Amino acid sequence: MSAFVSQLKKKSYHIRKTVLEMCVKAGTGHVTSSLSGIDILVALYYGNILKFDPANPEWKKRDRFILSKGQASPALYAILADLGYFDRKELDKFAQKDGKFGVHLQKDVPGVEITSGSLGQGFGIAAGIALGAKMNKELYLVFTVLGDGECYEGSVWETAMFASHNKLNNLIAIIDRNYLCVTDFTENLMELEPMEDKWSSFGWEVCRINGHSFEDILDALSTVRSRRSGKPLVLIADTVKGEGIEYLSNIPLWHGVAPKENEADLCRTDLERRYNGE
Amino acid sequence: MENNISQRDAFWNKVYELAKADRDIVIITADMGAPALDRIRKDLASQFVNVGIAEQNAITLAAGLSLTGKRVFAYAIAPFITLRCLEQIRVENAIMKIPVTIVGVGAGFGYEDSGPTHHLIEDIAIIRAMPDITIHSITDSVMASAFAELSCTMQTANYIRLDRQVMPNIYRENTDFTAGISVLKENKNTYIISTGCMTHMAIDIAYRLEKQKMQVGVIDVYTLPINDRLLLEALKGVRKIITLEEHFLPGGLGSALCEILNDNNLFIPVKRLGLSTSRGYCYKYGGREAIRNYYGADKDSVEAKIKEFLA
Repeated sequence: MSAFVSQLKKKSYHIRKTVLEMCVKAGTGHVTSSLSGIDILVALYYGNILKFDPANPEWKKRDRFILSKGQASPALYAILADLGYFDRKELDKFAQKDGKFGVHLQKDVPGVEITSGSLGQGFGIAAGIALGAKMNKELYLVFTVLGDGECYEGSVWETAMFASHNKLNNLIAIIDRNYLCVTDFTENLMELEPMEDKWSSFGWEVCRINGHSFEDILDALSTVRSRRSGKPLVLIADTVKGEGIEYLSNIPLWHGVAPKENEADLCRTDLERRYNGE
Repeated sequence: MENNISQRDAFWNKVYELAKADRDIVIITADMGAPALDRIRKDLASQFVNVGIAEQNAITLAAGLSLTGKRVFAYAIAPFITLRCLEQIRVENAIMKIPVTIVGVGAGFGYEDSGPTHHLIEDIAIIRAMPDITIHSITDSVMASAFAELSCTMQTANYIRLDRQVMPNIYRENTDFTAGISVLKENKNTYIISTGCMTHMAIDIAYRLEKQKMQVGVIDVYTLPINDRLLLEALKGVRKIITLEEHFLPGGLGSALCEILNDNNLFIPVKRLGLSTSRGYCYKYGGREAIRNYYGADKDSVEAKIKEFLA
């Protein structure tokens, strides 16, 4: 493992720990949905993929990052605080009285582009920004992370069709494919596979990766600014809902729920074992 | 302006002019056409986007474009660009306050031959239930053109509800519509307060009643939330009010007026005329008046109800 990847892993551990503690303190939050996407977000923000400036959140040339699965907001908030977009103390007030933000993503937080939480909408906004960037001849890229369950929303496919027809090759969608929805595994509930075929038939360049492998994520994104393709790019990132904390992993009932008291201790132990026991 | 131009054409002709001078104006259509839109498509192709019959995408796309500095008009058949994508409007425009202009053609029974899927008789109630979206319920082509221009100055989203049918112009060119209401016929005692196409009916009825020695005034309300200060001023000393709308009664113009009166401790008798939900949706054809008649909202029925109220 390269030193860079091991740095990113360390960062992932730190963000996971922060997310867990934020949600435990608040007694709410989508812990498992955040955990599945954290490696993707860490790769984007710390892996030299996204262009951004915490001192100037409105920097015109920044890449736009749209977290369409707004329930994973704790992961993004933890990262933005770590990068200096706002005071870390805000994380302690997550979803509490006097706190500035709650369970779903909020536009007025520095570094956040949109309000999301109603699924299928962030993706459409991302396409609009990508189209606007083309019209304005701006070179920034638009990255968006969707949940796999979000792909049940019909509006996702309206946007998917639009983006490829309009050759929005400045739009990169990453699907956090954790195979779980609210009540059940997606393939029991209603099959989402074959995802690659679906997206490629909608005119997208498709790449399937392991969403917990920094090598995979960085490899897929490293050439993103020099792509020759006119197609928008989608990464279907296979993940585990609850990744990093075995106690919470792959169990539908942990959707949108924060662990309490001794459960939280079990989670802390799991997280330590996973990252510091290696 | 020619009398027989549709509100839709007047609106898009003005947008065409504006867009020609401002490259940041973008028009999104959900596969709806108009002669002026064809000109935009042809002459200003880079500012024209057809999303297909996909209103949800039209609204989210409009929001994204707006975030890049564009002034966006999103257009479709009125029931679909409001109700199909209502939640997108709620999140993007009301919650995030992204300023786009939503343009719907076919308010009320404008699609008179098309049945209830194409009637739009609940949009005022639904849209006005949300903050930070202004409704412009258009009365004639002069107003349609004016609101195309005013839309470009809005800081929050607005919804332009256009009538589909060609009606004579009530307003003169260059009328200032910023007040949101206009007193079209003054009266000290009684007013019909109406919106959209029903303002045409209100005027007709007011003159019919005049011939029968009954005097009523007419106020046209074309912007909601209503400019309550101006409206209350106009209603000073008034003893009876009739509201008239081609819209279901719950939450519509009549409700909006009653809210203002009640909140200002004004206890003026109000007769709300419009469409009763007890009649449900309807499959009636044979023209707009025939459909209105089903709801007791055709001109003769309305006149009779007003007379009864004033007696």
